[in-house]
Amino acid sequence: MTGRYDDLSDEELGRRLRAELPRYAAPAHLRRAVRDSIPARVPRLPWLTPALSAMATALVLILFFVPGLPRLVPADPAERLVRAVVSEHTRTLLWGARRADVVLATLPELSRETGVSLTRSFIGDDQLTLVGAEPVYVDRRRGIAIHYRDSDGHLVSYVAVPAPGVTVPDHERVSVDRYRPALIHDSGFAAWMWRQGEMVCVIVSDRVSNSELETFKGYFLRLRAATEPLSAY
Amino acid sequence: MADAEFERDVLLHIDALYNFALYLTRHPSEADDLVQETYLRAFRFSHRFQRGTHLRAWLFQILRNTFFTFYRIRDREAAVAEDGVPDWDVPMFHDAPDEDGKATETHTDLERAMRRLPEEFRTVLLLAEVEGMPLEEVARAMSCPVGTVKSRIFRAKERLRGLLRDYDTK
Repeated sequence: MTGRYDDLSDEELGRRLRAELPRYAAPAHLRRAVRDSIPARVPRLPWLTPALSAMATALVLILFFVPGLPRLVPADPAERLVRAVVSEHTRTLLWGARRADVVLATLPELSRETGVSLTRSFIGDDQLTLVGAEPVYVDRRRGIAIHYRDSDGHLVSYVAVPAPGVTVPDHERVSVDRYRPALIHDSGFAAWMWRQGEMVCVIVSDRVSNSELETFKGYFLRLRAATEPLSAY
Repeated sequence: MADAEFERDVLLHIDALYNFALYLTRHPSEADDLVQETYLRAFRFSHRFQRGTHLRAWLFQILRNTFFTFYRIRDREAAVAEDGVPDWDVPMFHDAPDEDGKATETHTDLERAMRRLPEEFRTVLLLAEVEGMPLEEVARAMSCPVGTVKSRIFRAKERLRGLLRDYDTK
């Protein structure tokens, strides 16, 4: 028996597939649906990519070079010293007091290290608790720092450094009892600054508002009256 | 994001894609869904298409992969159907518009034989013989080497010839 497909060669079969197999065109509703599904084009901004790249590069360069840029330091030695003490206070706030020793036990060692001796020192009361003492290096001067914490949890730093050439700014002076220390604000902190012989003493706290000034004055009075720093050499 | 040129070029192939989808799914509504999904994916991943390469092969490749994905999902769903009989396998070509004479009979035989071929044979014949795509494009669309395409074409024709011979004797 001989059929219609018996003698189909490959070429002939291919030809018949092309010619005889029905082809179905996409219906109109499908065309519409596909056209509707085309996402809306956002207008291209040819400058956007290079601009973003340039900004990113500039930002990286700035971040890279900023640490090496000269910093703005106050011209006044007193303000410079206060700023250095505030930086030290901030560092202590961030990292915590590292040497929570009893100050009396560490005094001889601290004196040797810093060249500052304390003939008397405030060791705390019901308002201020002694946290620790450590040597500091502020504005190219060796000094001693004693940290206290008040009853509200605020850290109070007392720093004494030998600074013969530094004068307390008169226009910042405030009368506190029989003393006239300077009240200086820097970097969000308040600082008392005064001279005691050849030493310059600074107390730093974050009690900066007017309502807290009386409390801060009390801290000054306690420390000023009870602490006597001397240059050891 | 697809640009205007890309949109225009991909829409040129909608008839070929629909025809291919219809032979794969056998259901007009499923072919609609398959083509729409193919275009959605094409627009979404237009940035991956390399200009200057075979757009048609790329589209067919997407369609075929989408078909497999759909069928894998549906096979899982069908396996847990309550009646256990998936209703999606009803052949559509019996509903094709009748034409009179021998041509209609031949069409029916060819269609029926094509429908009975395994997918990989059906696809290779549709792409290479019906669409007239070069073997390299077919290979790209089917994600296989050119040698495999040649082999499949040969075997598909053998199988198709055998099926047609069966119809002839009946």
